Order: sequence, then C-alpha cells, then structure tokens
Amino acid sequence: MSNLIKKDKVIAYVVVSLGAVIMLAPFYFMFVFASHSNSGILSVPPPIFFGDYIVENFNTLIDFLPYFWHNIGLSLFVAVVTTILNLLFCSLAGYAFAMFDFKFKNFLFVGIMATMLLPPFLGMIPTAMIMSQIGWMNDPKALIIPAACGAMGIFMMRQFIASAIPKELVEAARMDGCREFKIYYRVVIPLITPAFGTLGLITFIGSWNNFMGPLVVMNDMKMFTIPLALRALQGTGQIPWGAVAIGAAIAVLPLLFLFVIASRRLIDGLTAGAVKG
Amino acid sequence: MASVQFSNLEKNYGTTPVVKKINLEIEHGEFIVLLGPSGCGKSTTLRMLAGLESISGGDIYIGDELVNDLHPIERNIAMVFQSYALYPHMTVAQNIGFSLENLKVEKSLRETMVRDVAEVLELTPLLDRKPKDLSGGQRQRVAMGRAMVRTPEVFLFDEPLSNLDAKLRGQMRKEIKALHQKVQTTVIYVTHDQVEAMTLADRIVILNQGKIEQVGRPKEIFDAPKNVFVAKFIGAPEMNIFALSNEQMFSDFELSNINHSGMSIGIRPQNLFLNKKEVKGDQISFIDAEVTGTELLGSSLHIECKYQDKKLVVETATIDTSIKGDIRLYFNKTQTHLFDQNSNTIPR
Ligand SMILES: Nc1ncnc2c1ncn2[C@@H]1O[C@H](COP(=O)(O)OP(=O)(O)O)[C@@H](O)[C@H]1O
Ligand SMILES: [Mg+2]
Repeated sequence: MSNLIKKDKVIAYVVVSLGAVIMLAPFYFMFVFASHSNSGILSVPPPIFFGDYIVENFNTLIDFLPYFWHNIGLSLFVAVVTTILNLLFCSLAGYAFAMFDFKFKNFLFVGIMATMLLPPFLGMIPTAMIMSQIGWMNDPKALIIPAACGAMGIFMMRQFIASAIPKELVEAARMDGCREFKIYYRVVIPLITPAFGTLGLITFIGSWNNFMGPLVVMNDMKMFTIPLALRALQGTGQIPWGAVAIGAAIAVLPLLFLFVIASRRLIDGLTAGAVKG
Repeated sequence: MASVQFSNLEKNYGTTPVVKKINLEIEHGEFIVLLGPSGCGKSTTLRMLAGLESISGGDIYIGDELVNDLHPIERNIAMVFQSYALYPHMTVAQNIGFSLENLKVEKSLRETMVRDVAEVLELTPLLDRKPKDLSGGQRQRVAMGRAMVRTPEVFLFDEPLSNLDAKLRGQMRKEIKALHQKVQTTVIYVTHDQVEAMTLADRIVILNQGKIEQVGRPKEIFDAPKNVFVAKFIGAPEMNIFALSNEQMFSDFELSNINHSGMSIGIRPQNLFLNKKEVKGDQISFIDAEVTGTELLGSSLHIECKYQDKKLVVETATIDTSIKGDIRLYFNKTQTHLFDQNSNTIPR
C-alpha cells in the first residue's frame, strides 16, 4: 500500500470521526441535561458531565404530563400496528406490481408514485376535516388507517420482489398446486424478509417520530403521541429543560434499541436492489 | 394416463402472433420433443399447455377434457423449468414434497414418497441441503424429483439441460430417457438441441416461427425432411443445399428430364465421398469440385469445396488435412433431396 493511499485513509477517518462527533453531540447533551436542574443547564458554560438531578426532572415531567406513560404506550401501539399493516399491504401491492399483468397497471403505478410528490402538510386540513366528519378525532385509527400503506413502501417492495424473486419461481409454485395467496405467504414472504426488515424499521421510526399527523387529529392530551406530548411541555411559560431532556431521552430509547439490533440490516436493505448481487 | 391434443392453438402478444394455429395429437405415453430455433414459440406452447399462459385461440385437450380455462392445479401437469426454479428457502426434501403438501398428503406418507423419489434420483444424502449448496446437476435432479413425486398426467420439460455442461448433459439425457421408460407418462420436452431431440424423442415436432414444419420419428425427419428448413435444421454440419442454376448441374445430378425452374438440390456432408468404393447402393453419381479449405475435428475431417460457384462441405473419416486442388465427390443419387421453388421437398 502506498503512502498516498494511507494518507487518504487517515483524512477519511478524521472527517468521518468529526462528522460522528457533531451528529452525536446533541444526543449526548440530551442525556447530560436530563440529569441537571434548569439553572444548571442554563449556566455558562453548560455542564458536560452527568449530574444528580434526574429524579427531580422525572417528577417534573410527570407533573406536567400526567399521561406520559399512556402517551408512550399509544405511540408504541400506533407505530407497531402501522408497521405491521404497512408490511402486509405494501408487500401485497408490490408483489402484484412486480409479478402480475393487469389492466391499467402502469397507470395505477404512476398514480401511486405521484402521491410521493405531494408535500405532507398539504393534507393536514383535509385530514382534520375528514377525521372530524367520520368521528375519528382522538382515535388512534385516525393515525393508523391513513398510514397503513404508502407509495414509498410499495415502490420498495416492488423493486425488491422484482429483483429477488424470479417469475419462474412463482410459476413453479403454481404448478406445484399453490393457490395465489398461498404462493404469497409460502414462497414470496420467506424470500423478502430483508425488505420487511428495512421497510419495517423505516415505517416504525416514521410513525414514532410523526409530529404533524397527530397534531391535526389528536387534541386530547391523553391521546397525544410522544412527540406531541414533549412539544406540549415546551408551551408552558418557564420551560423545564431538564424534564424535556429526560422525556426526549426516554422517547429515544425504543429507537436506539431498534437501531442496535437492526442497523446492519437497514443499511443492507437500503442498498439492496441498487446493484444485483 | 393422458393424451394431449392441440387444435388450431394460437397465441398473440399484442398484435404479434407467436404461435400460429398449431394442430398436434400426442398419444398417451409418448415422448414428444418440440424442437426449433430460439424464439420460435416452443416455451409459449408448453406454457399454454401448463396453464401458465392464456390462450389466444384454439383448444387444448388433456385426455378428453378441454382444459383451455383450467387453472394449472386442475390440469395435473408437472413441469421442469429451464432455471430449475427451486425454492431457495426450502430444503431439498421440502422442495420435492411441496406439491404433496399442497395436495394435503399426510405427513408420514409424504416423507415416504419424497424418500422414494430421492432414492431413484440419488438425492438421499442431500435431502437436508438448501438449493444454494447443490451443484448444477444436483439442482437439475431436484427439479426432476419435484415433478416426479406426484403422478402427473403429463410431464413438461423446458430446456432442462441447457444450463449443464456437455458431459453432464449426456448423462442426464440417459436418465431422462430411463425415467420415461419407467413411468410411461406422456412427456413433452422442449429443446433447441437436435442431439437431445434425436436421442430422446418418440416423435419430433419441428417448430419455426410459431408454425409446425414437420412431425415425425427422428429417423424419418432426418431421412425425409419435408422442406429446406427441416433439412438444414437437422443434421450437423448442415445439409448442403444449393439452387440448380445451370445445365451442367442438371446433368451432374441426372435431372435433365425434369423441367422445373427455381429448384434446389440438397445432399448431406456425410453422403459425399472421396472414393467410389465407399458409396453404398448402385445409383452412384459424381461431381467435380475444388477444395478451398479443411477443418479437422479429431475423428473426422470437414472439407470445404467449391462446386459451380456453390459452397459445399464434405465430412469424411480420413484425417488427411493435406488434401487440396480438384477432387471428385461420389454420392448415391437416392440420398439427394430435391426442393421446389417454395422450398418444399419434391417427393421422388
Ligand atoms: N410476455 C411476452 N410478451 C411479448 N412477447 C413475448 C413474451 N413472451 C415471449 N414472447 C415472444 O414470443 C416468441 C416466442 O417465445 P418463446 O416461446 O419463449 O420462444 P422459445 O421458447 O421457442 O425460444 C419470442 O419471439 C418472444 O420474444
Ligand atoms: Mg424457451
């Protein structure tokens, strides 16, 4: 290996490390601030090591947000159900688009893809109106049903299925006496688990972090999801920063946990299909 | 136990006809090979019979039953795909047993049946492996096992050996033949390889551009091709066929008494000889040609010659590559083929 390449490598490592520090700093300070009092946090310079105010901060959090655990539970419920429904419907639609010929197929597919072009906030007011019309305000259904299937997921599944499952495999199953739905769950699903992992993770994170959706349809504090609840904490005159930090820290734990067990798969899945391999 | 019948079978993709009014009757237990160049509609025909492709026109019967609109399940046909199409997530045993599982065959019976088939195909030690851990030949066997394990009315093979190397191909050919003799089921086998067709078929169906050119026993097709296409497609090196363009040629081939315009004559490279003694039969004739090149293929020699501006190839057993200059080529007149202006064989 030449010196030039070594030097390049060193520079690359330095740049990546610097980037990592910049990205991770807010996380670190979130955990640090969770253990300091408001005055401690607002002092100059701010604290950079853990303090001993964590229990008080947590009590403040519960004072301000009496439904905190309910909010977490609701977020979890919505995210899990949305993810499961997404996996089911996106894979079914993706399978149909990848394997079958039917009338208006291209037209339908373009139509679905076009929905990705619409900015999400464009749907805020119509969503609020529809949900109040059908009486779904403050109902988790209002978050789950509209998000049960999405253009991005359908696209991802279609691409993955088209590259991972040869048409002859489906035909072989048909010759082996499988009805169509059985082909889907006995042959297709086992072969697309990597895509399930990726789409599942993306959907879960998206749902967990979703702020705008619940903002329009949830106005009862008990029915707030966690981003909404934490935001409510900041609208109360003197902002209890320590409580905000500990709330955020707790809210981030499920995602952190998911990342630890699935980051490898997420990266693999995002690049799968890009190159046939 | 089934015969198969195609009646005016048609397939169009959009406005492009791919299979054009095919009529064919296949008897129970027959080994039929659909032979033709790539893109002539062999796979499409097979897939219509399997029920994987819709029919644009005509009828398909299996036994006495019209199956045009039946789902593949109801046709009781087994198919071996060119790519094998094994389920990557299942073991060999699960792959073979999958159709039985779908038929709701009881588990213990299923296992016995899978083991029996594995025994025949020498797959027993591999039953717990996944397809990715098998060689090409072993995958091929699993694909066959999957077709054999239930007793289908008809076996379909779509170029099953084309992904194997030459040696393995020869071996599998023998095994498929043996398998057919054992199970006595109707087999329809698609290939573009004439050696496979000649060695396996009871009858060969030659397809070209979606139409049947000729149906017949291998020897019949080789000895009496119905037209120029079949004559050239069967036999290697391909039959020498050239237009009879002057008087000299008519007299060389002793055709002076026949008065046709646009006729051509064909003779196989194996039926031209350097020595008169080698020619069998008594209607012996000859032509004079000039050597333009040779090609040695181990046990035989291909001599390229020019005869009356036409190119000719002669296959001989001699391996003397120094042959050059003018030569005289002897042949038996009964081994020539005469074609009319529409490229159809003129019976003689
Ligand atoms: N799904 C399809 N859409 C359009 N054309 C097709 C399709 N499948 C096959 N064809 C065309 O039909 C012709 C016959 O195909 P095929 O039956 O696969 O040929 P073979 O098996 O003899 O090589 C080919 O010209 C091919 O391009
Ligand atoms: Mg084909």
